[in-house]
Amino acid sequence: MNREEVCNIKVLVANRGEIACRILRACIEAGHPTVAVYAGNDADSMFVEMADEAVLLVGDTIGETYLDQRQIIEAARSTGATAIHPGFGFLSERADFATVVLEAGLTWVGPSPQAIEKMGDKMTARQTMRQAGVPVIPGEEVEEEDEAAALEALRQASTRVGYPLLLKASSGGGGKGMRAVHDPADFDQAAAGARREAVAAFGDGRIYIERLLSGSKHIEIQVLADQKGRTVHLGERECSVQRRHQKVFEEAPGPTMTPELRNAMGQAAIAAAKAVDYVGAGTVEFLLAPSGEFFFLEMNTRIQVEHPVTELVTGVDIVREQLRIAQGEPMSCGDLMLRGHAIEVRLYAEDAANGFLPAIGPLAVFRPPEGPGIRLDTGVREGDEVTPNYDPMLAKLIVWAPSRPEALQKMRRALEEFVVLGTTTNLRFLRELCDEEAVVSGATTTTTIDDLWPNGWSPSPSRLLEDASLLAASAAEQFGLHRRSASTGQTTGEVAPNPFITLQRRYP
Amino acid sequence: MQHLFGSPDGPVEVTLTKDGNEFVLEGARAMLTSRGQLKLQLPDGTTELAHVAKVGDAWWVHLRGHTFRWERIEPGSTSADEGGGLVAPMPGKVLEVLVSPGQQVKAGDALMVLEAMKMEHRIVASTDGVVAAVHFAAGEQVMQGASLLELEESN
Repeated sequence: MNREEVCNIKVLVANRGEIACRILRACIEAGHPTVAVYAGNDADSMFVEMADEAVLLVGDTIGETYLDQRQIIEAARSTGATAIHPGFGFLSERADFATVVLEAGLTWVGPSPQAIEKMGDKMTARQTMRQAGVPVIPGEEVEEEDEAAALEALRQASTRVGYPLLLKASSGGGGKGMRAVHDPADFDQAAAGARREAVAAFGDGRIYIERLLSGSKHIEIQVLADQKGRTVHLGERECSVQRRHQKVFEEAPGPTMTPELRNAMGQAAIAAAKAVDYVGAGTVEFLLAPSGEFFFLEMNTRIQVEHPVTELVTGVDIVREQLRIAQGEPMSCGDLMLRGHAIEVRLYAEDAANGFLPAIGPLAVFRPPEGPGIRLDTGVREGDEVTPNYDPMLAKLIVWAPSRPEALQKMRRALEEFVVLGTTTNLRFLRELCDEEAVVSGATTTTTIDDLWPNGWSPSPSRLLEDASLLAASAAEQFGLHRRSASTGQTTGEVAPNPFITLQRRYP
Repeated sequence: MQHLFGSPDGPVEVTLTKDGNEFVLEGARAMLTSRGQLKLQLPDGTTELAHVAKVGDAWWVHLRGHTFRWERIEPGSTSADEGGGLVAPMPGKVLEVLVSPGQQVKAGDALMVLEAMKMEHRIVASTDGVVAAVHFAAGEQVMQGASLLELEESN
């Protein structure tokens, strides 16, 4: 009998957008039947079309839809799905959800609820890592529940930790509930704000303090662990370039990494994973100080947004490995082999010239770059509407080239070729970032963007180009181009007809 | 042929001249390709294909890796910008109102905290002045472009 038929799981993807598409594609390639779940405002989204079956989640808010565990389990039952892949965000790092999935007799594509819990609570994770001998950032955890008592305890801890410092939510992630404080005078307001954001985002207001290690690099190690007892690392990613604590530019390998340091950090990451009996794909994040010391930041117990750069330099399909591991098979990858250089940038619907404020609007034109060495992971296509309902990340543009300078050249070319009209994006910001000395030399740190543009970034088109764009806008109006569909070049007006379109219509 | 566009630095007037099937502006020429795409010949001798799309009244233009947005002002229409008002940059929810009417504020002071896209955004005073009115209370939903507060500039 065909082995695939014996253990073929039917995968429900409990996510949306770009990562849902990424996982669905891996499932289709592996021959797994797929189920999508979606909120009403996602009914026309790409991931819904991509899945074999799709189940509507009833409700108006994210809490009532993508976070509603009961509805998602029910969707698995009604469609006969046998496994749940949570993607990232949403329920991916919720130990209670992993427990519910397992109790329903379903396969959970991820680590055990115990591992998620130990790593998910950042304060517990710091304590676990200390015990496992993994270095953590100097700092203090505050366990007070009561708001006034917690703020007072934090204030006292702040004087022991010293300035500058970082306030972080114990349940945090993605920069939410996080504040950097440079001046003791700003502490109270920052602590109250961090706590409020943490309560709103995670329902848990516990905050801890870390020393802010300025001039540090953000280096993370991808790990994979299967149920046969094998735990490996897939090398590092450098994700130092961040705005408001969200990554925008990620690469592998790290531009300043040495084989010795990679080995040391890789072994620390494996020790971290083993300390919680980790299974599946995970990422151990470190800060690499200018002194060469590295400190554990946190472990993300799920697939990571920037996983593609590791895939391109190692040749490992991390999502396929997740599916294999979840079914109890051994991982398929051999010894670590790094080849060439990969860079990812995150395309956000946001106004980089206006404090990176999220933007909304139609994707009237969405024309990604093409060519050798270019990969686009997205969940949108032309004609979609960018709404304020979800995260403003539109796509991940990833390039691979034999060397880092060539990868940067390719990224510049790809970003120039990328056309998005109708919604403001950070495309130009990303393009100009690729020219900055710190990026070119690889001397990036977590404060690079703030250091480069302390008063905010603004684009610098030449006068020639700006005038030309005014000519383009005026001439477009005169030519009546607003009456034609931007995607096909098909016209409804007086512009000369294209014979090929006519042919297509006659002989479909 | 005159076209008027809004910009952060004030309205921009563009006067095109027609030359056969082409439009000319200060040495630059615009024409259509046989596929109906907009092609520009720039004064520096280079040629560029422009991607354009009109969304509402705004023309979006992609040219040599840059994206421009020009809001077209139809002849006879008046500017909606009344000045002094502080508008919501995004649809969202008011988390906190930090000032009350009559209060003196300095440029850069936080006036209101909004939550949009799951992040907090501070609405700050653009100039020194006195708060003339507050239109929303904490917990209320606001639409993009909604006037949140009025600020009377002090001289």
